[in-house]
Amino acid sequence: MGKSSSHHFVLHCKKGTMKKVLFAALCLVYLELSMRVVSAPICSYGQAGCHVPSLADLFERVIQQSSRMHSVSSDLHSEFEQYFFPSKNIMGKRKCHTYDILTPQDKENAQRLGREQLTEVIVTLLRAWGEPLSELHQSMSQDQHQDFNIYSSNKALEISDIVHELKDGVKIITDKMRLMGVLSNTVGYNSPESLVPSSAFYTQGDLDSMDHHDLLYCFRRDSNKVKNYLRVLKCTTLPELGC
Amino acid sequence: MSAPGKPVLLGCRSPEKETFTCWWEPGSDGGLPTTHHLYYERERLEGTYECPDYLSAGRNSCFFNKNHTSIWVNYYLTVMASNALGNATSDPFKVDVMEIVKPDSPRNVTLRVEERKDSPCLHVRWRPPSNTDTKSGWVTIKYELRVKKDNSNNWEEYMSGTQTHFSLYSVSPGVVYTVQVRCTLDHSSWSEWSNTTYVKISNYLQNERPFLMLISILSVILFITAGFVLIMKRKSVKHWVVPPVPGPKIRGINSQFLKVAGSEDVSNALIFNQSFPPIHFVWEDQMEEYLNVTENEDWLSFNSQKRKKSLIPACFHFDSEIHCKESTCNQNEWEKDEEISKVDNNNKPFTNTGYVDFQRHVENVQGANVKHVDYSRIKEVKGNNVLILETENIQISNIPEDYHRVKEMEGDHLVVLQKQNAADINYTDCALHKPRKPHVCTESSNSGYVDTIPAPPLM
Repeated sequence: MGKSSSHHFVLHCKKGTMKKVLFAALCLVYLELSMRVVSAPICSYGQAGCHVPSLADLFERVIQQSSRMHSVSSDLHSEFEQYFFPSKNIMGKRKCHTYDILTPQDKENAQRLGREQLTEVIVTLLRAWGEPLSELHQSMSQDQHQDFNIYSSNKALEISDIVHELKDGVKIITDKMRLMGVLSNTVGYNSPESLVPSSAFYTQGDLDSMDHHDLLYCFRRDSNKVKNYLRVLKCTTLPELGC
Repeated sequence: MSAPGKPVLLGCRSPEKETFTCWWEPGSDGGLPTTHHLYYERERLEGTYECPDYLSAGRNSCFFNKNHTSIWVNYYLTVMASNALGNATSDPFKVDVMEIVKPDSPRNVTLRVEERKDSPCLHVRWRPPSNTDTKSGWVTIKYELRVKKDNSNNWEEYMSGTQTHFSLYSVSPGVVYTVQVRCTLDHSSWSEWSNTTYVKISNYLQNERPFLMLISILSVILFITAGFVLIMKRKSVKHWVVPPVPGPKIRGINSQFLKVAGSEDVSNALIFNQSFPPIHFVWEDQMEEYLNVTENEDWLSFNSQKRKKSLIPACFHFDSEIHCKESTCNQNEWEKDEEISKVDNNNKPFTNTGYVDFQRHVENVQGANVKHVDYSRIKEVKGNNVLILETENIQISNIPEDYHRVKEMEGDHLVVLQKQNAADINYTDCALHKPRKPHVCTESSNSGYVDTIPAPPLM
């Protein structure tokens, strides 16, 4: 509103309404300035003005994400198998690049592992898959000869994004647990060498469909591990939530 | 007789992601007793191993207990059938426990009908399968249920998430509902549907409806009858709600009489009943004045102010100011003078004639040749209030014997009469006297005969 029109408006009002209008305008200005932020960001470090989520909320979030990650990868893998290898039960003999990462193979071992090492395993797995997944997505989106790649490359992208988010999420959880004194620094479960993902495995050239298949197969398994381990971690750390 | 046929591995299943079982189909046995052995190799494990348990899961099966089960590793299974003539080995079968999870059906599915006011609802409850371990978070169970009405084949399916209970709200009475529940472990295969459970929603809730209907019908009938009654009595209702404004009435005149009588009678009645001045009007003003009959000079002057609206008996007190311009107080004076002679009586017409004594206010008379006429004879009495006097001079030389003069009033009730001595009477005093309280005259003194009318009761 131009200045002249507002003056016009003021002139035409009686004194009582003018006061009301001024008051309303002041209120609006105040609200506008004080409510700049539409939604409060979630921050785990307790910065000023943030809503700090609880450990239970964080766990809930990462478990949801891991569940999503596994279901998408599982769908992608089964679609791939239907498309390329209709006959089931293929004997894929190539090892996954995360083979050397030691992970508990059953419930008892997972429970016996303890929180610190379990957390470390999770983080190691996630770290190992960051790069290969982005490579997979790139390869799939570039290889337009196969119809499968056209329809499914966005799923690969989604998986890649989720893994990236999960890495951050688990890091936040571990920091928070350390703060709460739930987690202590202990000797790593895995030897340092195994922490370095064997990315050399994939840089030997372009990935072909077999590589895609292997990647998807391996990632389906590893995402299931991550999902399971996170649940076990949550239930051992926060048993009162009712697992 | 031949070597056995090749067995076929049918599949494996893990109900809780901690153990698993595999089954095979034996081939022909070749007519000879044939045994089967299952051998397996495992990823991250060197060597070939034989099935740890052939019995627990039944014939042609192999059960792997917790100690022998590892997740996220591939098992490569083969079954070998052997008889006396030879062996036969099945094709290798790769299995990862992660992929073969299929839980058991949920247990103890119970249905409970809750009868609420408007509509019943159905509560379904169940227990998870007995072998699953949710406490440690190893598995997360999600449930799904389906509901069928009566004998139809259409199932309605509902997701229940991780809850072990579910409520159905759109439930109709008198219908048989069939419910089944199944579950999944972390996106594994779905279990089989549980055993069917039936419930029939009872009909007795509908009995409440007729009751309500009855009440509503009764109230409607009540309203209708009340309406009828009101319509019938609308006049009296109207009177009660809006009372009529009273119309003007002429006292003494019956409106019915007016309707019936002829015009002559009407005019007579009107005239007869009318009073000049309109005394009934003045009545309301309480501007009554009394005419005091007295020979006592101490009588107070009259007061035309407000008087009590009390009744004056037959013996009047005339308290008046009479302007006498003429020698006589003729009837015109009477009629014109509005301040005078408000006879406060009780609406009874004069029934006796008598002499009325006036006291005249002589001072007010100016220059008038006033002949002091002391007595007037009442010629006629009209209505309740008007005395029409005779215009002729009345010379009273002697008072007839049947009349006495009132000598004095004693107290409120005593009238003292004077002995006959007419000559001494001299009434020239028109002084104003204050009125006395109205008197009730009674038959009193022994001095003579007093003609009185019994006094009406004081108001």
